[in-house]
Amino acid sequence: MGEDKKQKFSAEEMEIKIDYENIDVEEIMNQIKRKIASRPAQEIEQQEEETRNDYRETIPPPLTSPPGGLRSKIRRILLKLMRPFAPLIKLMVLPVDEELRETVENLDYSNRRLDGLTERLHQELSRIDQILGRLESKIDLNHQLVNERLELAFKDLGRAKEYTKLLHQLTHNLVVEMTKLKIEKDHLKIQSRILEKDLAFLNRREKEVEKKVFS
Amino acid sequence: MKIAFVVQRYGMEINGGAELHCRWIAEHMKKYYEVEVLTTKAYDYITWENYYLDDIEEINGVLVRRFPVARPRNPMRFGRIQQFVFHHEHKIDDELKWLEEEGPLAPALIKYIDQHRADYDYFIFFSYRYYHSYWGIQTVPEKSILVPTAEHDPVVYLRIFKELFSLPRAFIYNSEEEKNMIQRVANNSHILGKVVGVGIEIPSSWPTQQVLEQRGIASDYLVYIGRIDENKGCDKLFQYFLKFKERTNYPVKLVLVGSTKLTIPHHPDLIYLGFVSEEEKFAILQGALLLIMPSFYESLSMVTLEAWALEKPVLANAHCEVLQGQCQRSQGGLYYENYAEFEETLKLLLEDDKLREILSQNGRRYFESNYTWEVIEQKYNYIISKLEEEKENK
Repeated sequence: MGEDKKQKFSAEEMEIKIDYENIDVEEIMNQIKRKIASRPAQEIEQQEEETRNDYRETIPPPLTSPPGGLRSKIRRILLKLMRPFAPLIKLMVLPVDEELRETVENLDYSNRRLDGLTERLHQELSRIDQILGRLESKIDLNHQLVNERLELAFKDLGRAKEYTKLLHQLTHNLVVEMTKLKIEKDHLKIQSRILEKDLAFLNRREKEVEKKVFS
Repeated sequence: MKIAFVVQRYGMEINGGAELHCRWIAEHMKKYYEVEVLTTKAYDYITWENYYLDDIEEINGVLVRRFPVARPRNPMRFGRIQQFVFHHEHKIDDELKWLEEEGPLAPALIKYIDQHRADYDYFIFFSYRYYHSYWGIQTVPEKSILVPTAEHDPVVYLRIFKELFSLPRAFIYNSEEEKNMIQRVANNSHILGKVVGVGIEIPSSWPTQQVLEQRGIASDYLVYIGRIDENKGCDKLFQYFLKFKERTNYPVKLVLVGSTKLTIPHHPDLIYLGFVSEEEKFAILQGALLLIMPSFYESLSMVTLEAWALEKPVLANAHCEVLQGQCQRSQGGLYYENYAEFEETLKLLLEDDKLREILSQNGRRYFESNYTWEVIEQKYNYIISKLEEEKENK
């Protein structure tokens, strides 16, 4: 592109840094997004708003439409002026009975469609009623079955509760008995130690008596 | 091995979208397999009215079987049904009614597929959203390969398609974004699928200077190539470009190539060339500074690939996930979401010749490694061989 043709942009606008050795499109786009975001919000909004609103004003008339001459201008003005009288002109040009007939035909057609739809609605409603009836009986049956099963489950639960209570009692008793036995064992141990001491004393006494007797 | 390509329209006159995509693939795959095309007699994609007369014809060495459209589309009726289906609570039946209106309604084509299923090894369906794909895949799911060409629009979320997306043996996607979208919608990641796209046909030469002189294009210009309508974001493009001109007074024009359904504003910097030949198109693209793609909905954008093939950078609409993804993967273009970004990116691209050059080279590299015909053919062959392996293992 020729340098002379280019529109020069300010240095502030050309601040995007590009690593030409390793181009990363995403990174460039992020920089562009950051640059736009750093502008005052008002400016961005205004720009978007302008783009939306001014579109029609910016765009000249369509290419396909013929160039507007004096005749078409006059035609447009006449059409504009005649617009309020359009119903009257229509009334004068078209026979009223034809319009009436068309309206009645349209109404009749609409009525028939409405009748058809109403009938279909009734059919659908009766079908839904039948389905609901079937559903209700199914729900009752299921309810009964569920109740029976629940009763059985509660009975089983009661039995399990009693059994647990008994087990608890038994465990408690076992603990008491075990404690008692431990105390008994300790008592017996002490007694056996006393007896051992008594026996040792008697042995010593026996030896002393023997010494005295034979000396 | 015999493969049928099933597509809504087919012909030399149809020069865009999934139909051209299908034609190019069929013509390239004929050197590996026996290829036939099953299509309708429609040409107009709005009404689907029967246009082609012959039941069977040969186009560029490919046998084409055409089936009549039973009822053309009534655009008003279709619009009403689509409005209802997109914006109101509805039943599956309503969606099927929508599909019937979407068309092209060609039950004879489906009947043929059903009766001749044994004659073909695989049916490759193009464009998920039409009658032929929906009912065709339901008819021969075990032999179906779907090239969805899906865009991120409300149609993809219709319930009938969730079920459809779980039927084919394999998917051939146009882009990663399309693959992710369909797998998200249908939860079908277990089905074989590959991102392939389409190769690009580039003429051997084109007289750029001559075309530009003939068309009276003397200054620097940006180019948009494609259908000029609102769905392609062209109204927004005009709005943004004229605003850009008003604010910056940059000496650049916008050249528009393609048929128009939109009133183009009369402005000295908007040059409308209408429909041009392939050679002229490449000549105009070659002469441009960059390609602008303002479309909101694209499943691939062949013209973007063409730009990269010709070493042209792209400025794309970021609201289109595919275009944004392609720019990021290729490092061959920038993208914009709003006017402020449009202005900044365009200014940057116009000012920075070096950036434009590097983006162009990146685009070309991306094109060469993903979208040359050798690569595309290999990928198609890979899918077929995978399916054959599965068949043998069963």
